Amino acid sequence: MSGNFWKSSHYQQWLLDPQDIMINRLKELQANNLKEDEYYKLMIFFTNFIQSLGENLRLRQQVIASATVYFRRFYSKYSFKCIDPFLLAPTCLFLATKVEEFGLQSQQRFATLTASLIKSKYSHLYTQEYPYKIQHIWECEFYLLEVMDCCLILFHPYRPLIQFVNDLSPDDQSLLQQAWRVCNDSLRTDLCLMYPPSLIALGCLHIACVHLKKDAKQWFSELNVDMEKLFEVVRHIMHLYDILKTYDEKEKIKEILGKIAKPRLTNNSSSSNIQSSSQNSQQQQRTQIMNQQAPQQQQQQQDQH
Amino acid sequence: MQVEKRYEKLNFLGEGQFATVYKARDNETGTIVAIKKIKFGNRVEAADGINRTALREIKLLKEISHVNIIKLYDVFGQGSNISLVYDFMVTDLEEIIRDRENIVLTPADIKSYMIMMICGLEYLHANWILHRDLKPNNLLVDERGVLKIGDFGLAKFYGSPNREMTHQVVTRWYRAPELLFGSRIYGTAIDIWAVGCIFAELLRRDPLLPGSTDLDQLVKIFDLFGTPNETNWPNAKLLPDFVEFKPCYAKPLKMIFSAVTPDVIFVLDHMLQLNPLKRTTCKDALTLPYFSNAPGPTPPESLPQPQSVIDRIKNKSDALARNPSKRKLSDETSSLKKRLNF
Repeated sequence: MSGNFWKSSHYQQWLLDPQDIMINRLKELQANNLKEDEYYKLMIFFTNFIQSLGENLRLRQQVIASATVYFRRFYSKYSFKCIDPFLLAPTCLFLATKVEEFGLQSQQRFATLTASLIKSKYSHLYTQEYPYKIQHIWECEFYLLEVMDCCLILFHPYRPLIQFVNDLSPDDQSLLQQAWRVCNDSLRTDLCLMYPPSLIALGCLHIACVHLKKDAKQWFSELNVDMEKLFEVVRHIMHLYDILKTYDEKEKIKEILGKIAKPRLTNNSSSSNIQSSSQNSQQQQRTQIMNQQAPQQQQQQQDQH
Repeated sequence: MQVEKRYEKLNFLGEGQFATVYKARDNETGTIVAIKKIKFGNRVEAADGINRTALREIKLLKEISHVNIIKLYDVFGQGSNISLVYDFMVTDLEEIIRDRENIVLTPADIKSYMIMMICGLEYLHANWILHRDLKPNNLLVDERGVLKIGDFGLAKFYGSPNREMTHQVVTRWYRAPELLFGSRIYGTAIDIWAVGCIFAELLRRDPLLPGSTDLDQLVKIFDLFGTPNETNWPNAKLLPDFVEFKPCYAKPLKMIFSAVTPDVIFVLDHMLQLNPLKRTTCKDALTLPYFSNAPGPTPPESLPQPQSVIDRIKNKSDALARNPSKRKLSDETSSLKKRLNF
């Protein structure tokens, strides 16, 4: 809920060039010896993870969607080895509940619920004890805010979707539901990093129309949008559905998770990698949160951590 | 540039509930800034990661930009502390209103402040943001006389139906009657009520409704505007914390503001309506005759500054006169240099 998307930080700072996303990602793929679709599946896995964690915390979909976008923003610039995705996931939810003013959550629940969810649902993937406490989440929250350059307000495709459905065929609940589901699925793609939410909504609506064999050619042809871009959105979502055909959370994900370099966590009860890295950074310099540094520079800094 | 070298702390400016404010020099740009260091707070607040008040201010100020709204330049953090860097503002409306000895506020000056205030607020409301804490103390004024709305620690997006909000907002004297009656669903009208109170305060040079408790606040409001009834505020009885008062009638505003022109009364009357639905909006307020009638608003740079600000500027120019050589001056400051040590 906010004013003008075209003047927002979401549009001005966080619609990234697909090529820039790929450049950073290729580095990550090489460093971890991952294939592109393996990376893709990993992100699907963590989106699912955030979703079920959010549902366990009884958060609204809006909060979960925001947390998912925060998660993707972070890893569009930084590597998995900077912050363990199993720590960043609850941190994104934690920050999103605060930004969306979703009341006061019991603080301890974030860490304990993550630990118990991992134990009950993902024990095959995460064999050791979940090592993070709420203190780690607070620490990680700072880094997340810094990497996002304090851009916290997000626009999601749901609101424009409702408007489009109302215009295309008012009171068509089955169309809205179908398109809404596609919208939820689109969180498992990079779309939120590349396209305005209204365009994502149109792509989802298009897929829903095709699926329900609803003829909306006329309506789509009258839109004042770049059709080429709209079809790119559709292609991204279709690609997701292709990938999902061979997505297997049991064996395959375990194998991929095994490949990624994790930040080391010392056994020294409270001093995690993040904490020690923050001490480093204190020695180096105070953590500058806003004022974007050049990505390369950031990378070096992180490498030092 | 490293943060500790970038911002050079000059002096302590004040302390609020959530933060300490310092004046500092940004060595990268040479400008003077205000740094608000968010307090770590008590245990409960500390156990919440980044302070919610600071987070609200960061998330909103990052999205908005208007000449009558304070600008957030930078955010930096260290450990679990977070500091926000703003435009440095020389004074605020409270200081100007209270400096009765030195400042005469002409009708044109007051009009100028009102227009700047409403323009900033209109922008906020158009972006679905409620300020929720408007008071003279939060209306900051820079050295060019431009008024900027500050302190977004309570600000919030509005417009989601069914989402309840707390009624414990707005400093009491500027709190709208629906909030005092515990309304959990409210809108831009609460900010308009506060603007009305500030307008009255600019005219009177004294708070209009200085209630000592929440109940006393209601007493003062109804004393002036009459107790709620089915005509001036239908359904007020349905509000959660409604209490019945001994009925009394509204006093004509002309009695309290005997020296002002009728167009001023007309504005006050539109802003200080008991019924929030009848209160004017920013957009409509600006079309009221008062804002286009003579006298025209004073240009910001000609607005009066409080004596304390004039003294400060004078001291500075005295210092400059004593040290005509710029180099000497910078030597002097560098010897006094105290690094920002948060």
